[in-house]
Amino acid sequence: MGKRPPVVVLSSSSGEDDGGGRRGPSARRSRTPASAPARAQSQAASGSRKKPRRESSAGRGRRRASGPAPLDSLKAEFDMLSEDFSECFDDLGMSGSIRKTKELWVDKYKPHSLAELAVHKKKVEDVKKWFEEKLTAPKQTVGGWTLVLTGQTGVGKSATVKAIAEDLGVDLCEWTTPVPTLWAEHVHANSGLRYISKLEEFENFVEKIRKYAMLHPTSITSQRKLNIILIDDIPVTSGNAAFARLGKCLTGLIHSTQVPTVISLTHYHKSESNDTAMWNSEDLESLLQDAGAHKIAFNPVTTNSIKKILMRICKEERYDASEELLHQIAISSGGDIRHAIMSLQYYCLDPRRHSSALATNGTRAGSKSRDSLVPRQESYGLSSALSSPCGRDETLTLFHALGKFLHNKREINGGVDIDLDPFPLKEKLRRNLLKMDVPEKILSQAHGKVRTVADFLYENVLDFIDNEAVDDAWAVVSYLSEADCLLAGSPITSYNSENMAQLIAASVTARGVLFGNAHVASSRWHTIRSPKLWQTEQSFRSNKDQILNERFDCSSSCASCNFSDLVTEFRPLERWIGPRNNGPISSSWHHGVGGSHLVNKLDADGSNYEEEDDDVIEEC
Amino acid sequence: MLWVDKYRPKTLDKVTVHDQVAQNLRKLVSEQDCPHLLFYGPSGSGKKTLILALIKQMFGAGAEKVKMENKTWKIDTGTRTLEIELAMLSSAHHVEMNPSDAGFQDRYVVQEVIKEMAKNRPIDAKGKRAFKVLVLNEVDKLSREAQHSLRRTMEKYSASCRLILCCNSSSKVTEAVRSRCLNVRVNAPSEDQIVQVLEIIGKKENLHLPAGFAARIAAQSNRNLRRAILFFETCKVQQYPFASNQVAPPLDWEQYVSEIATDILTEQSPKRLYAVRQKFYELLVNCIPPESILKKLLTELLKKLDADLKHEICHWAAHYALCMQEHKMRLGSKAIFHLEAFVAKFMSIYKEFLVATFG
Repeated sequence: MGKRPPVVVLSSSSGEDDGGGRRGPSARRSRTPASAPARAQSQAASGSRKKPRRESSAGRGRRRASGPAPLDSLKAEFDMLSEDFSECFDDLGMSGSIRKTKELWVDKYKPHSLAELAVHKKKVEDVKKWFEEKLTAPKQTVGGWTLVLTGQTGVGKSATVKAIAEDLGVDLCEWTTPVPTLWAEHVHANSGLRYISKLEEFENFVEKIRKYAMLHPTSITSQRKLNIILIDDIPVTSGNAAFARLGKCLTGLIHSTQVPTVISLTHYHKSESNDTAMWNSEDLESLLQDAGAHKIAFNPVTTNSIKKILMRICKEERYDASEELLHQIAISSGGDIRHAIMSLQYYCLDPRRHSSALATNGTRAGSKSRDSLVPRQESYGLSSALSSPCGRDETLTLFHALGKFLHNKREINGGVDIDLDPFPLKEKLRRNLLKMDVPEKILSQAHGKVRTVADFLYENVLDFIDNEAVDDAWAVVSYLSEADCLLAGSPITSYNSENMAQLIAASVTARGVLFGNAHVASSRWHTIRSPKLWQTEQSFRSNKDQILNERFDCSSSCASCNFSDLVTEFRPLERWIGPRNNGPISSSWHHGVGGSHLVNKLDADGSNYEEEDDDVIEEC
Repeated sequence: MLWVDKYRPKTLDKVTVHDQVAQNLRKLVSEQDCPHLLFYGPSGSGKKTLILALIKQMFGAGAEKVKMENKTWKIDTGTRTLEIELAMLSSAHHVEMNPSDAGFQDRYVVQEVIKEMAKNRPIDAKGKRAFKVLVLNEVDKLSREAQHSLRRTMEKYSASCRLILCCNSSSKVTEAVRSRCLNVRVNAPSEDQIVQVLEIIGKKENLHLPAGFAARIAAQSNRNLRRAILFFETCKVQQYPFASNQVAPPLDWEQYVSEIATDILTEQSPKRLYAVRQKFYELLVNCIPPESILKKLLTELLKKLDADLKHEICHWAAHYALCMQEHKMRLGSKAIFHLEAFVAKFMSIYKEFLVATFG
C-alpha cells in the first residue's frame, strides 16, 4: 500500500501540521507518533490497516486514495506537499501537544466508502443525488449550489460528505479554522501577533471562495477537476451585530457560489446552549434556507447501526466485547456514533472493566421496575454508576421535561400487584406506575432551575387537569404552594443546585404535579405558555416605582405613606378626584394606560416569550 | 393637592384627633432630647401625621424640605457585595424609609443606614440636638433578623440618632425593640371624631353638608380617617351639592375582588380557576398587596357561605395567609401560588358541599 516509508514522512508531516495548525476540525485526528511507547501488540494487530489512514490524514481529507494505484499515490504525495506548503504559510511554530496519544479508533475507522457509513442509506442517497446533480449541472447557473446538513453531533454529517466526495472522485476543500490568537496575547505580547477575529477570518475565507470559484474550471490539469467545499465550523457569534454579519456573509456565499458548497450545522440541545452567547443554530438554519440553500436533516444514528459498526471494530481489533456491552454503549451514546466508538475504545483499554460494568448494568436492570420507589440518592447512584464510565448523559430540553410532567403518562394497568403490596393504600391515593424515569432524574437532565420549572408547571398545569376535577387542581396547586415555600426559604446564594431546599422543592413540584393530577384531561395538543407570572412581576416593579413617584410629585411635603395604603386607598380614589386635581396623574389603572404601556415596553425588550399580553390589563 | 394632604395638621398644636397624645409629645421633645419612639395603631389613625408634626416640632421648618431618592446601598457581607436599592425620603434632619421593601435583605439596610447616619452626624453649635431622626415605616413587616440587628444598632448609635418606628401592630415587633422605645399607641379615631374632622374640612372648603352625610361617610370609612377624607373628596368631585343619600363609590379593587368571589361561587372547575388566576394577576400588576386581596376575598366569600363551611374556609385562608406572610420577605416568593391554592381549596370544599346538599 504505502510506497513511502511511513514513519519518516509521517513524523515530518505531522510536525509541520502541528506547527501550521491550520486544521480546525482535523485537529481531532491525532497523529501516530513515530515512537509511541509500549503498544506492540496493538500495532501488530492493526498495522496493516493503519497505512491508508495515515495517508489520508496526511492528505487532510482532500484526497483519499482508496485504490493503491501508483499513479494515485504519487498524486496524493504531490497534493500533500502542495497542501502543506500552503497550509504552513503562516507557520507560528506551535508545539504539537496531541502527538503522544494512541491512535483513536474514531479516526482509524473513519468510513471510507458509502457502504461503511452508519447513516441511513436513504439519507446518503439523497445527499449523493444532490451532489451528482450539481456536479453535472452547467457551471454558469447561479444559486442553488448550497446544501445545509443539520443534525446532532456525531451523526455523520461530515463523514457522509467526505465519503461521497471520495466515491464521486471529487476534491473536497474544507474551511479549517486557523489557530486563534487570543485577544490577551495580542494585547500583552508585542510579538507582532495579529489579532483577527474568527468571524473576520471566516469572511476572508468566503471571499476567497467566491473569487477563486471562477478560476477553477480553468484548472491546470487536463481533466476537469471537480470541487466540493465543506464548511464544517461556522464561527460562533455573540450578539446580534456579529450574527447579522455572519448571516450576510453566508447569504452572499450562497448567492454567488458556483461550486457545490456544504454547510454542516450541529444542533445543540436547547438546554446546553441556553446561554445567550451561543448562536442560535435554528436562526442560522432558517436564514440559510431563506437564502436558497437546500436542507437535509440527519437523524441520530440508530442503535442497530451503531451496534453493527461497533461489532466490526471489535472484530478488527480482536476484542471480544459482549453483545450486551455493545448494546449498552450504543444506547447510551444517544445516536452519536463518534461517542459510541470512543466509549468502546475506552472500554477495551481495560478488559476487566467491562465485566464489572456489566454487573452494574445487571443490577440496574433488575431494579428498574422499582425505580419509582427507590429513594433519590440511590437511584442517582445507580444511574451514575452506569453512565459515568461509558455514555453521555442524556439531556432533555426543559420543554420535554415539562411535557412529561404535564401529560403524566402512566401505565394503564398498574394495579396487578396491589394484593402483594404489604401496605395497601386507600383507593384515593393509589396511582398507576409512571411511564417515565424518576421525576428527579428528568429534572436533573433538563438542567432547569427549579424556580423556572415550578413557574412553568404552575402556568400550564391547569390545562391538563380534567375540568371536573377541582380536587385535583387543589392538590396540585397546594403542592406548588408548598414548593414555593421551600424555594422562597432558600437564600439567594443558591446558584448551585446542590442546595437541599432546592432539591426538595424540585421533588415536591414535580411529584406534586404528577400525583395531584389524578384525572388527566384527555390528551390533546396544548401549547405550553411561558409563565405570565414573570411578566406580572416586571410590571409590578415598574408600576410600583411609578406610583411612588407620582405620589411624591403630588404632595411633595408629606409623601410618606405605607405603600399598601397608597395602593389600596389613595390610588382608587384619586382616580375619581384625579381629573380635577392639578397633580400629574399620567396613568390610572382604570383605563389601563400605564399597565398596557408597560407591557408593550416589555414586549419590545423581548423579555417575554409569548403573545397574549393584551389581556394582562383588561378593563375591569 | 388632595385634601388628605392639605388638611393634615402640620404642627402638634393643630392636631385635633389625638390632641392629648400630641400635647404629651410636645412636652417630651421640648424638655430634652427624646427617646426612641414606637408608634403603633391601625391604618389611618394618624400615626404618620403625629410623626411628621413631631419632627417639625423638633427641627422647625427645615424638616419639611424633603427630597426623594432611590439610594443604592452597597453592602459588603464578606463573601460578596450586595447592592440594595431603596427609596428614601430625607431632609437635613431626618431620613424616612421603608426597610421592609428590601425583602429579606432588610437587615443589612437597617444596619447600614443607621451606621451611615451616625457617620454624618450633624454638628450643632450648641452641641444639643446633634442627632438625626430615622423614621422606619412598617417595622412589623421587618424580618426577625432585621429586628434583631435593629436592636443592636439602636443601642450602639443611640447618641447620634433617634429612631421613630411606625407600625400597625406592635405584636409583630420583638420585645427587645419594644422595650427600648417609648411606645405610643395611636387609636383609630371614633366616628364622632371623624365627623368632626369632616365638618371642619367642609367649613374650610365652604361646603354645605346635609345632615347625616358626614356620619355616613364616617361609617363607610371603617374608622379610618384617611379613607374618610378621601371618600369625602371623592363625593365632592362626583356630585355637589351633596345628595341626601349619597355614598362614596366603592374602591375599584375591592369591587374587582368581589367579582372574583362571584366567579368562584358560580363555577368550580380548573378552567374557572385559570380565569380567576388571570384576575389575580391583574390585581397584582396594580400592586394590590396579596394579603389585602386574600382578606377581602375571604370576607366576600364568607358573606355567601353556609355557616357549616365558614370554619373550614377560614382555616385554609389562615393557612395560606401564613404561607404568604412567612415567606413574604424572602426573595422570589410568589404570592399568587398561595392565593390560588386557597381558591382551589375553596372550590374543592364548596363543590363537595354543593354535591352533598343538592346532589
